[in-house]
Amino acid sequence: MMNSDSTSAAAPDARQPAIRAVGLVKRFGAVTALDGVTFDLAPGRIYGLLGPNGSGKTTLIRLLTGMTRATAGSATVLGVRMPDRANLARIGYMTQGDGVYPSLTVAENAQFFAAAYGVEDAAQVADALRLVGLADRSKMIVGTLSGGQRRRLSLACALVHRPPVLFLDEPTVGVDPQLRVQFWGHFRTLADAGTTIVVSSHVMDEADRCDELLFVRAGRVIARGTGSGLRAEAGTGDLESAFLRFAGESEAAA
Amino acid sequence: MSARRLRAIVLRVIAEIRRDRPSLALLFIAPIVVTGLLTFILRDTTSPDVRVAIATEGTGPAAGQVVTRLASALTGAGMTVTVAASPDASRNAVRDGAATVAIVLPANLAAGRDAQIALVTKGLDPAGDGAQIQAVSSAIVGSLASSLGAVLPAVVHQTVYGTPSADPMAPFAPAIVAFFLYFFVYLLTGVSFLRERTGGTLERLMATPVTRGEIVTGYTLGFGFFAMFQVAILLVWALGTVRVPAIGPLPEFSLGLGIAVAGSPLLAFAAVLLLALGAVSLGIFLSTFARTELQVIQFIPVVLVPQFLLSGVLFSVDSLPAVLQPLVHVMPLAYAVDALREIFIRGADLSVTSLQVDLAVLAVVAVLFAAVASRTIRRDVV
Ligand SMILES: Nc1ncnc2c1ncn2[C@@H]1O[C@H](COP(=O)(O)OP(=O)(O)OP(=O)(O)O)[C@@H](O)[C@H]1O
Ligand SMILES: [Mg+2]
Repeated sequence: MMNSDSTSAAAPDARQPAIRAVGLVKRFGAVTALDGVTFDLAPGRIYGLLGPNGSGKTTLIRLLTGMTRATAGSATVLGVRMPDRANLARIGYMTQGDGVYPSLTVAENAQFFAAAYGVEDAAQVADALRLVGLADRSKMIVGTLSGGQRRRLSLACALVHRPPVLFLDEPTVGVDPQLRVQFWGHFRTLADAGTTIVVSSHVMDEADRCDELLFVRAGRVIARGTGSGLRAEAGTGDLESAFLRFAGESEAAA
Repeated sequence: MSARRLRAIVLRVIAEIRRDRPSLALLFIAPIVVTGLLTFILRDTTSPDVRVAIATEGTGPAAGQVVTRLASALTGAGMTVTVAASPDASRNAVRDGAATVAIVLPANLAAGRDAQIALVTKGLDPAGDGAQIQAVSSAIVGSLASSLGAVLPAVVHQTVYGTPSADPMAPFAPAIVAFFLYFFVYLLTGVSFLRERTGGTLERLMATPVTRGEIVTGYTLGFGFFAMFQVAILLVWALGTVRVPAIGPLPEFSLGLGIAVAGSPLLAFAAVLLLALGAVSLGIFLSTFARTELQVIQFIPVVLVPQFLLSGVLFSVDSLPAVLQPLVHVMPLAYAVDALREIFIRGADLSVTSLQVDLAVLAVVAVLFAAVASRTIRRDVV
């Protein structure tokens, strides 16, 4: 499991895919959460995983981060086959739930996850908190924060170690519109600096901020392309109808 | 294992508990309240049902006179008194249950300190015996002081079964210290770790390079830190005693058992701490099977109560039915209770084999459970 030389390759190679999934299948008993997902994601881009509840977005992210083992297939991040503990230092994962300690302060949470990722520089913690607009609340107990503020802290904890690959599971749920715009601004800045970002969402109006979209339905990627490309392919003006069109096609094919 | 990451986990565990008032109360106030109550129940029980059989080894009218005077004094103190024909007859009365205490007066009663009055109990119930002995002793002293003057004979406690102890409370203190520590540490770790699981922070933590071993070790050290204080409180309670004077309508009472400890309190501290470290892993392990905090509590009857019953806390291990004996050997609590009794009563140090065995088993259990706990950590969180 430990792979010490995997961390030495710091910058992602632009020619290699940052993330690769090959035939990923995940079953929970009788439920097939993922039903054969294959793709390559190039570095430095923002990918949107779009799909309804229960379509398998979280399961896909958990397989890519090595949180759970695939029933079949393989997941590779930055050239390292997952699960791999050492490789996790180069991955940020903002879970769908907040996953922060309510009895600790904002700063203590960020410091804890920084230490867990092996970050030594205290300035990085301050930077992450500033990025999500929580710098002035660093001494507040997390349990007393609003839902959106907790979400922001959760994001800060996922990028405190400045990872080249970032998985964000519905990062903007509960975040107000103004901050949402700021968040996407940050995501773009990070991507321009070379970070590969995978964002799951079922909010279609956020989709156009992604470089590429992957429509997920019933554990499969049913379509992939840019927002405008997918609309054109489906011959509709909005993404909802495009999604439904592709969903109908995959249903008919099955 | 990375020292930095481990340190971060330990400090986080400590910071969380420090902020959690109810848990802090559970850690520090609960042992004081519970053990304080026990002090009253075990030490200060008022007027137990005492049935005395008096006998004397002495002959002649003088001896008979002492017996008669003592009998009336004890009757005056509310006890049921019979005069037995011989010391053996009085012991038989205790064995049969006709009497709860036999008083055997020596022939040389007037010889002062050299004389020994024997108080004989059945010996199966140290707590009950303790109360009986205490009641009878004070009545005897009151009665004999008037007839014998200032120099009183020594009073020794003998038992029909089992070994008598100088202090009937001595075998209890270690058991109670060990059990309550085990109980509180398990409860706190189980609930804390469950929160880690259900709160999504465990998933988060598993997404960092932190290893499972680091998590379990971090928890063990973090809770070990608090357990240290708890052990200290419990030991002070067991070994020390404070008399609280009567205030207003409250009568005078004493806090603490004041057990005379024959061995090293530091060694006792180490033994209980080993037990506590095992309890941390047990809490983490069992939290795997719980979905709610209530379920952590529901494990108590399954995991802790059998240990309470079978580890010699209330009932002596030797008096347990043979069928249950093998079970005793798989209970960590039994080894801790035994280790403490060795240290408290026998004054054992590290050169004593049976103490070595106890400590070794406790250490192995702590390590083994930590290994098992770290294997079960990574169960898919639903
Ligand atoms: N640990 C698990 N045990 C059993 N079934 C699971 C488990 N995790 C996920 N599933 C099932 O797998 C399917 C996909 O779930 P997943 O959480 O990946 O969906 P999602 O796309 O993230 O949905 P949402 O938008 O609601 O977050 C669901 O049917 C879910 O019930
Ligand atoms: Mg999800």
